[in-house]
Amino acid sequence: MWKRMISVLAIAAVFIGAEPFRPARAQTPAAPRVPRAPDGKPNFTGVWAGPGFAHVVGPGDTDTPRVSAYDAKNFTPVKPGGEFWLKRKLTGNTRVDDPTAYCLPNGLTRQILSPYAQQWIQSTGHMVILYEYMHFFRTIPIGAPNRPHDKDIEPTWMGDSIGWWDGDTFVIDTVGLKEWMFDASLDLSGGARWHSDALHFTERLRFTDPTTVSYAVTIDDPKIFTAPWSQEFGMKLHPTWKIFEFVCEENNRCQGGQCAESELQKK
Amino acid sequence: MVKSLLTVVVALLVAGHALDAHHSFAAEYDGTKPVKVTGTVKRVEWANPHVWFYVEGKDDVTGRTAVWGFSAAPPGMLARRGITKDVLKIGDTIQVEGFLAKDGSPNASGGRVTFADGRQVFTASSEDSVPK
Repeated sequence: MWKRMISVLAIAAVFIGAEPFRPARAQTPAAPRVPRAPDGKPNFTGVWAGPGFAHVVGPGDTDTPRVSAYDAKNFTPVKPGGEFWLKRKLTGNTRVDDPTAYCLPNGLTRQILSPYAQQWIQSTGHMVILYEYMHFFRTIPIGAPNRPHDKDIEPTWMGDSIGWWDGDTFVIDTVGLKEWMFDASLDLSGGARWHSDALHFTERLRFTDPTTVSYAVTIDDPKIFTAPWSQEFGMKLHPTWKIFEFVCEENNRCQGGQCAESELQKK
Repeated sequence: MVKSLLTVVVALLVAGHALDAHHSFAAEYDGTKPVKVTGTVKRVEWANPHVWFYVEGKDDVTGRTAVWGFSAAPPGMLARRGITKDVLKIGDTIQVEGFLAKDGSPNASGGRVTFADGRQVFTASSEDSVPK
């Protein structure tokens, strides 16, 4: 009896002396120190090396251009008929198989992976992206999350993009894309990767340190894939860079595989 | 400078067969037909979408002699690698490795340039293959 009472008291004493129970709470990572705009939002203004670069940190870092492809390991199963776009049969006519060889735009989603610099200009109401490649640009109005896009959008190469803030993450939501090249994969035996005009493309950007941004994209193309899928890339701020002029038609000598003869080469 | 350029060369070689920048490599060049031309720089066209430079010389692979045109990266891309307009001078003797144009003309992707003193510069677009 005494023994049992002592045991109970001992146990009670342990609990009385212990810290009160608190449910386990997920550790919220500390927000990285990031550049901020006057309105307090993370400030993406600057010249960036986008996902089309291999970001090497350290001495001699030149942010080597390295065009990437979307990784098939991330793909969800392809719907019957989806191969029509994803392995688009080559015709032998470069104007059809890879229109960029004729200086037509690479459009979204291929632009994301192009190894050229890009300049972002942020205001309270807009995010403007100036791509060096082809002098292409995107003007993205910032507003309420998940608000509807304009109706009756005519499909274009860069589509209709709207943006919003999700905490410190900037979200870009794009629809209205022309059926066009998905990325730069051009497999002479397997075809070219294209996306359909049903593509819903989402980009989510957040700073992971003052000069590095996580750039995650989600591909939702219901004509091709059974479900949306995502891939994460990186983007690096380069305060010393500028974007260069790029006039594709200026000296496109081997357009479509047919090289114009230089006067030096004429006999 | 040379060290950083060599770093770039190595990085690109490791990257292997990369994909596209302005266009797909496969659209204009034949990856099964390497060329290795040794000769004299005759002209440099510093323009988009690709810098072109011309070398009068002989292809070690086929023995073909011509004024060869080589496609390089665009000016902006080269500038960010630290390669400026004066890297190739008229009259320089260089060796260029690349792949033949699909139309069979004496034009090629200008993958790797080796100078007489052994310096190497990777002048090609990031999409271009480099002979191994």
